[in-house]
Amino acid sequence: MIHNAVDRAMQRASSYDQSEAYASKTTVHTIYIDNSRISNIETKVDTGMMFRMSKDGKLGKASVSLNGEGSVDNCLRMADTVLGFSPVDDEFKGYAQPGQARIGMPDVWDDRVDSITPDDLREIAKTLIGECRVNIPRAQIRLSSTESHVMNGNGVDAVHRSTLVYGHFTSMTVIDHPGEGMETYHGTHLNLDPVEIAHALSDKAEAAAVCREFKGTEGMTMILPPSELGDMITSSVGSAIDGENVKYGRSMWKDLMDAEVASKEFNLIEDPTLSAPLSCVFDDEGTPTERRCVVEGGVLRSFLRDTFCGDSTGNGMRRSSVEPQGSYERTPTIKPLNLVVGHGRYSRDQIVEQTDNGILVEKFAWPEADELTGRFGLNVRCGYIIRKGEIVGTVNNALLMGNMLDAVRNIEMIGNDSKQMGVINVPTMSFSGMELVGN
Amino acid sequence: MMTGSFSDMDNVRDILKTAVERMSDAGAEFADARSQSVRVMGASSVNGNLRQLVEKGTGGVCLRAWSGGRWGYGTVTSFDKDSIMAAADMAVRNASGDGRSGFTLEPVTVRADVRADVRIHPDSVDPSEKVAAVLDIDKSQSIDDRIINSMGSYSEEIKDNALVNSVGSDIRWEEVRTLCRAMSVAADGGRIERYYDGPDSTLGFEVVKDLDIEATGRSTAVEAINTLSAERPPSGHLTVISDPMVSGLLAHEAMGHASEGDEITKARSFLTGAIGRKVASEVITMYDNGTVPGAHGSVPFDDEGTPSSCTKIIDEGVYTGYMHSLETASQLGFKPTGNGRAENFGKRVWVRMTNTYFGPGEWDRDELIADTKDGILCDKMVNGMEDPVGGCFEAKCLRGFLIKNGEVVKTLQSFTLTGKSVDILCSADALTKEVVLDGGMCGKGIEDWVRVSSGGPYMRAKMIVGGGQ
Repeated sequence: MIHNAVDRAMQRASSYDQSEAYASKTTVHTIYIDNSRISNIETKVDTGMMFRMSKDGKLGKASVSLNGEGSVDNCLRMADTVLGFSPVDDEFKGYAQPGQARIGMPDVWDDRVDSITPDDLREIAKTLIGECRVNIPRAQIRLSSTESHVMNGNGVDAVHRSTLVYGHFTSMTVIDHPGEGMETYHGTHLNLDPVEIAHALSDKAEAAAVCREFKGTEGMTMILPPSELGDMITSSVGSAIDGENVKYGRSMWKDLMDAEVASKEFNLIEDPTLSAPLSCVFDDEGTPTERRCVVEGGVLRSFLRDTFCGDSTGNGMRRSSVEPQGSYERTPTIKPLNLVVGHGRYSRDQIVEQTDNGILVEKFAWPEADELTGRFGLNVRCGYIIRKGEIVGTVNNALLMGNMLDAVRNIEMIGNDSKQMGVINVPTMSFSGMELVGN
Repeated sequence: MMTGSFSDMDNVRDILKTAVERMSDAGAEFADARSQSVRVMGASSVNGNLRQLVEKGTGGVCLRAWSGGRWGYGTVTSFDKDSIMAAADMAVRNASGDGRSGFTLEPVTVRADVRADVRIHPDSVDPSEKVAAVLDIDKSQSIDDRIINSMGSYSEEIKDNALVNSVGSDIRWEEVRTLCRAMSVAADGGRIERYYDGPDSTLGFEVVKDLDIEATGRSTAVEAINTLSAERPPSGHLTVISDPMVSGLLAHEAMGHASEGDEITKARSFLTGAIGRKVASEVITMYDNGTVPGAHGSVPFDDEGTPSSCTKIIDEGVYTGYMHSLETASQLGFKPTGNGRAENFGKRVWVRMTNTYFGPGEWDRDELIADTKDGILCDKMVNGMEDPVGGCFEAKCLRGFLIKNGEVVKTLQSFTLTGKSVDILCSADALTKEVVLDGGMCGKGIEDWVRVSSGGPYMRAKMIVGGGQ
């Protein structure tokens, strides 16, 4: 269906200077757990397309659900209307140019995901519930398979097929002072282990249940596990290497190409060859992707770009690493495919043992740094206070403050426990110079 | 292609009724079918050039079957009868399992046809006028070389909904939302700061017509430049005057999420069993009200067909009630409050807020500042996070001002507020007279974004403050 839609759209696009059709079909199966019982099972089929074109310097763009015979024609008509009242765009550099694949097809398809049934999902959920020592107030497991097709008037014609497995789980102790735990799973294969997740959820909730409020203010080392560090890196470093932020002068690293931006232990590779949610051979504009060094030994080596910025690095993406639906509604924007932070040699326990005064954050309210400045002030939901290499207490209700772009210049240790967190694969890391403030 | 006209909906409604009958015949204790078409026009600009201009037309059908205390969903982006019937079968299959539910849903039967109450429907406005508004609000920010990015944006969303269910409801309703924004990024040396402003609503193009575009763009740029000299805020347990936007964030994150009925049925909220308990000082009254005319979170019906309503959550410091969907209302023995909402036809219905706000107090803003010896005045929010289990919250502020001896003495860069919700609200001692609502998107946990607003007056309370360098 999507291939016919793309073909039909491009056949009708000959009157435009440039044109591009993108269509996707996604089948999603989700099971929800509420209060340690299966509450919902959903099955969704989501199909749609976006058409973009240019004529005489003007741009048109529209997207539709493919829900009837006239959908494609309607999409073109809407896009043509947009083009009609669009002013001339001086910045448009054209859609993607065709190119040879630069990498082999990454392992992003799992037949088990594509053929999952509601009964299969029930079994996974039942195992999770049965193995968890504490309540599971809210959890979801979402499996999806997506096929997308992008074609343009320059000769690009690329099809991508992948599966996605995403899980988000919360846990809670049922005592007077409840503790909450959280786990997430990001992957392309059905390798999610419900027993392992259940045990982690139990451990985290029980740890959080003995939290005490942190009092006072003090400077300390911050240790972040992958679950908290992933989004902290993508929101700060990810923004600093975003070609559009560089183009518009709002990246803090815009003038630092080939300059030191991080500690020499910090290496960052864009690696779509690995099995990861957004790994692909061609991006969603049809540009070939490649393995690319972004930060080497603390020195900035590359920005990420799409066709809007020009000289695309194959990072023009519509698909999401978490939300499989609606990729056809999204205009391509620069997105990492799979950032890999080079791992170190230390276990998490070794990092704790070598920390004199610090906090190991089990859970922030929401891990995120300011995308322009890198600043953060984050509520610690559960953290372990470390004195002279030993955990001496568990705290919550405090703010941990710092700047993530400064933090990567002040790395103390890098762990060996890398984990996939959406579009980034990252280990536990520790950073000096943070401040914790409590009541 | 279904473009969402009401005449098209007539055909779909007949199919929806057949699908509901099919689910009921297949054993569903309750069933509903909801079709939705969404038309969006969005435009945005950077540095005086149009960056995005797009029209979207999406739509589909969501079938729900309730059986044995479980929901089964079947969703398709198709209005074809065979596809909808297949989705209905899938919904029943997904709901299947052992046993029957221990409680019965009690939906009200509603028959209605409601068009959006807007003065200037976006459909009646030439698109070039919308593009011009974006470029005008962008260009009016070009007042100083330190503005490195001037940005304008406009979006309109027109949702046409139809819902039928197994108790005879047959509803069609339209929702229109329009917003127009300015955002400036200023830089000087190694500093970068930003500021934003602009209205949002469930109104039509009058939102733009009534806006002084030139003044809004200019003032946004001026404030971005002013923030370049902002200093790092003090940290600790401090006196804070939240502006209406941050007051709303407190209402939404600190108490709102914890008052959602599904958090109560799971005992996941610190407010479980709290009705009648003192949770705030007597100056605090709080509502969730989906009927506020023109507010961004207002809806005539929720996504289960329950008419929207006003729920008083706190009455002069005493906790008074929860928000409900059909399911949680039945579980807890209350009436549905019209808070069963979904991001769109493809997403789950949860208990969600609409417009959540604190009621007014008796102070004037200047009087409140003059009465504060040492404190921080907040100016605009970035985002927030709820903590229904722990009873805390997190609110990020775009910037603020330091108050010394009753006077604003300096501008402060972005910072975060946190603390225990009940402690903060019990420390509240003064609110101003005017309540202002601010629209935005609310996710539950990590996703499922619905349109809401939150707000209140300026409010003085004690909380933990801290911000990165």
